[in-house]
Amino acid sequence: MKGFTLWFTGLPSSGKSTLARRVEEILLERGLNVEVLDGDEVRENLSKGLGFSKEDRDTNIRRIGFVAKLLARNGAVAITAAISPYRDVRDEMRRAIGRFVEVYVACPIDVLKERDVKGLYKKALAGEIKHFTGVDDPYEPPLKPEVLIESDKESVDQSVVRIIATLEALGYIPRVPGTEYSPAEEEAIKSRLKDLGYI
Amino acid sequence: MALKWFQQPSERACVVGLDGVPYSMVKRFAADGVMPRLGEIIAGGAFRETTVSLPEISSVSWSTFMTGKNPGEHGIFGFTDLHPGTYTQSFPSFRDLKCDTIWDRLGEQKMRSVVINQPATYPARPIHGALVSGFVAVHLDKSVFPARYLRQLRDINYEIDLDAELVRDNPPALFRALHELLRVRERLMDVLWTEEKWNLMEVVITGTDRLHHFLFDAYEDANHPNHGDFLDYYRAVDALVGRIHDRFAADASDPRNFFVLSDHGFCKTRHEVNVNALLAQNGHLKMTGDDPRRMENISEAATAFGLDPSRIYLHKRGRYPRGGVDESRADALTDEISQAFLALRHDGEAVIRRVFRGRDVYSGPASASGPDLILLSMPGFDLKGRLGAASVVADRRLQGMHTWDDAFVVTKRTDLVPGGRDLTLLDVPAMLMKCLGLESAHA
Repeated sequence: MKGFTLWFTGLPSSGKSTLARRVEEILLERGLNVEVLDGDEVRENLSKGLGFSKEDRDTNIRRIGFVAKLLARNGAVAITAAISPYRDVRDEMRRAIGRFVEVYVACPIDVLKERDVKGLYKKALAGEIKHFTGVDDPYEPPLKPEVLIESDKESVDQSVVRIIATLEALGYIPRVPGTEYSPAEEEAIKSRLKDLGYI
Repeated sequence: MALKWFQQPSERACVVGLDGVPYSMVKRFAADGVMPRLGEIIAGGAFRETTVSLPEISSVSWSTFMTGKNPGEHGIFGFTDLHPGTYTQSFPSFRDLKCDTIWDRLGEQKMRSVVINQPATYPARPIHGALVSGFVAVHLDKSVFPARYLRQLRDINYEIDLDAELVRDNPPALFRALHELLRVRERLMDVLWTEEKWNLMEVVITGTDRLHHFLFDAYEDANHPNHGDFLDYYRAVDALVGRIHDRFAADASDPRNFFVLSDHGFCKTRHEVNVNALLAQNGHLKMTGDDPRRMENISEAATAFGLDPSRIYLHKRGRYPRGGVDESRADALTDEISQAFLALRHDGEAVIRRVFRGRDVYSGPASASGPDLILLSMPGFDLKGRLGAASVVADRRLQGMHTWDDAFVVTKRTDLVPGGRDLTLLDVPAMLMKCLGLESAHA
């Protein structure tokens, strides 16, 4: 199987990592080689020492993109879950990697401030964290993402189903056999229901 | 290999479902020593009778339990339905559930669930944790999430259910199969208990329901040749509940977060009652064509029809291809049909206990696809939705039938049990979510 990169982008706490892990779990179950490059984890090792200036952020994204490209080139699914706020560098990664699926995890800033699972928005709004995307640093949403997730309007499961369906539709992952009941299955169900007097 | 991420479970809860086990039976077995372990748990907690959702069948009840919502929201009204805008029978699956489950909600909080053998969860779909589908699951490979557990299921010779055709008239084979099912459920639970970092563990024993359908006479009649076998099976169920309880108590930070519940009650069947036969007698159901057993042959002159077990649908214009009932006639028709059923007598005995209007018992966006009326029978009269039956009241085919009341819940979280009112099944998921630290909209 050819590899590809599934690139999540969105504001902090929008749900990128959660979705990335859920998609990872499903792809692993389907027998694919998967690696998640989570923004927080990458900054602890691959990009340790980088700050949050535009230049450093772009460097961070290029490093993630470089690793993703290597993984995809070797038949793996590279899932990236970093804010990746700047459109130009994301588009640069799309061109460099080739098989690239962009998932924009959108969520209104007011909902994120309310959600604030890591308490970061509160600190950013209090001025304790500088260069915080969405508060005092910009975020440029994708213009044509392959998947748009509105994480304030749909459940994680619904989002995951849509992402997987997109990957199947693009032919990047094989479709699993249909989940609708086959005629034989329907007959088996009918028979079970009859056995217990339910029909 | 990807980095694996797990939330270390801080809060834990454990649920044992006993499908179709009545409150009255548990009360009796706990008191007379057949179920001593459950008796101990009851003594240290709350033991309450519950009513369940309507109609009182497993697919509806367990969907109510797993969503914490009524059928008007989760959209499952029976084991069968009609494809929208047709008379073609459909079999709603787990994928037809119209709202998220408690496992989804826990998953959003990064809490993992393990679900074993819960009816109405086929085909298995991803949850944050692991799920092995129960009735009406057909293929094992479509009953497991994540699929990596499939090999272990095969290794332990896991069976989804017993083969009813083989055992229903063969009590020794039935009891062998029931005990074997208990064994494989426990073995699977052993596997998932340690391999999953779970917050919620749920296992449902469905052999109880099967036993009641096939051999309920053996419960009530102490002289029945299988009475001892019946009690022995319950001793085995009790021992399993006790082992799960002890294991949970040893593992959990709050051992009180332990629940045992049933999804409906059970009683002895005396007669079957063909709902559509009465509708036909009263002129509400008319058929065309040669075969009166086919839904496709419902006539345009029909004003109502029944679906199993106790659901009545008005044959409304716009909802069904040949439907002719206008909304303006709906109230008068439901009144008329309700009265006809409430007046039904067999040997001088009332057959129907209550008639509910769909709009009174369901709320939510899926209510419109639910039945207009739901019948509740007197104990012993098992309602059926079959078409083409010759008589309204007929001989029984199975020994036991479901009841809407006389279900139960046992929990040691007495602080979460609503006081001062009767409990319904909907209260249980609310309690469960609270004990896992998630507030839940109360039933």
